[in-house]
Amino acid sequence: MRNLNRRQFTTILGSTVAAGALAMPNITGAASHGAKPKVVVIGGGAGGATAARYIAKDSNGAIEVTLIEPTKRYYTCFFSNLYLGGFRDYESIGHSYDNLANNHGINVVHDWAASVDNANKKVILASGAAISYDKLVISPGIDMKYDSVPGYSVEAQTKMPHGWKSGTQVQVIKHNIVNMREGGTFVMVPPPNPFRCPPGPYERTSMIAHYLTQHNPTAKVIVLDTKPKFSKQGLFMDGWQRHYPDMVEWISPEVHGGIKNVNPDTMEIETDLDTFKADAACVIPAQKAGAIAMQAGVADGDWAPVMPATMASKADPNIYVLGDASVAKSMPKSGFSANSQAKVAANAIRGELTGSRVFDARFANTCWSLISANDGIKVGASYKAGSEKIDVVDKFISKNGEDAATRKATYEESEGWYAGMTADMFS
Amino acid sequence: MIKATALAILITGLSAVVFAKDTIIKGDIEYGKHLAAECVTCHSALGKNKGIPPVTGWNIDTFISVINAYRSKELKNPAMRLIAGRLDEEQIASLALYFASQPKSE
Repeated sequence: MRNLNRRQFTTILGSTVAAGALAMPNITGAASHGAKPKVVVIGGGAGGATAARYIAKDSNGAIEVTLIEPTKRYYTCFFSNLYLGGFRDYESIGHSYDNLANNHGINVVHDWAASVDNANKKVILASGAAISYDKLVISPGIDMKYDSVPGYSVEAQTKMPHGWKSGTQVQVIKHNIVNMREGGTFVMVPPPNPFRCPPGPYERTSMIAHYLTQHNPTAKVIVLDTKPKFSKQGLFMDGWQRHYPDMVEWISPEVHGGIKNVNPDTMEIETDLDTFKADAACVIPAQKAGAIAMQAGVADGDWAPVMPATMASKADPNIYVLGDASVAKSMPKSGFSANSQAKVAANAIRGELTGSRVFDARFANTCWSLISANDGIKVGASYKAGSEKIDVVDKFISKNGEDAATRKATYEESEGWYAGMTADMFS
Repeated sequence: MIKATALAILITGLSAVVFAKDTIIKGDIEYGKHLAAECVTCHSALGKNKGIPPVTGWNIDTFISVINAYRSKELKNPAMRLIAGRLDEEQIASLALYFASQPKSE
């Protein structure tokens, strides 16, 4: 055995003593009648899976956690574009809930949450069963506002998939790109603000162009935007000019006059400027909070307002709303944001239910995007809870003209983040 | 230049005191664990090294020095400057204590 000097000894002793003390659950508060306090989480994505995992993990069994998620295997939205670009296979973005059950004792229920009985604090499942909660976390992600695009519908998704919830819709897009005729036209219609993943439609444009450059180099990618400005615009435009100068064309609504109609049978997209005939298309409509947020009465219009310090609903103090469904201004609707918000809510919920220490809310977000192989860019910010909204503390964005090594490192960093983030949700 | 600042640690209950070169900084491992949740969105909690360097099992001095190098903008990564830039000395010491207590890799 090597000799320890005093400093090494105290360091190691300190770690052990403190880690031992941490393992002891501190149960006070709501467990007064003997039963463990119950948390139910609706939605097993970046917000919900993270919240369930942190509440279960950090309460050391003092809180009973149920996660309601209809799908047995979760395919992440983030990195689904890299699957389209050929940088990832589909299974690499799929994740199981097994570890949440095995490692943390979370009761994973594969069912739909149909409604919330706020007065009796119960979630009613589509199967008819009811689950009681002391605190409810709602993290349902988005639903589509199909009628925001004239001519668009659930049926239209077959030919003009939005692919904005990952899963099979993204596989349909891939299928349509792979099978597009030589020299064909892919049309992308990004959604209006606010929407999930602000740089997402433009990374998707980049990844589709990347695939076509390799397999169908005379093809065109036309972006008929519904907004005159978009996230990381200067960086994407510069990247398209460098990598896909004859393939990608972005057209502002100030030029095309707006989407007047889409026709999935003829694959035509009408604007004032022209009617565009697509061989394949991705049409992403406007969005709103997942339906259960409306059912639970926590939404005001399309989204659910929350208290910035805890993510608790402004309408019901026993409900917390995370991620895309919440009004978390100034944070973007992103998986990273949802994960960050989940940790703030988990800390607040544990504090309420077990009396554990509650620390000041701090939030962060970084959105990486891939333009072409080893050409990664990123935008990020740190945030704190203000009295009315989540305020930006500091921010950064990649710059045009960065050297190749920086862009490559940024891409590699995004791969590291994907591994860390998905472990933080599912391990 | 990066130099070590922490010299010794004493434990009093859950908190620890890190004796830095000129000042005494209190670190709190439970607070460190809470703050570390922000780090492990990107840095592997198991110490894996893939695109983003691991931070588990680091020597306390090294951890504090590296964070301070991001704070002073000696180190470049803008995401790390952002995260480090909002940490105060107590938070850095708490994170250093927590990550030092975590295994280096699985």
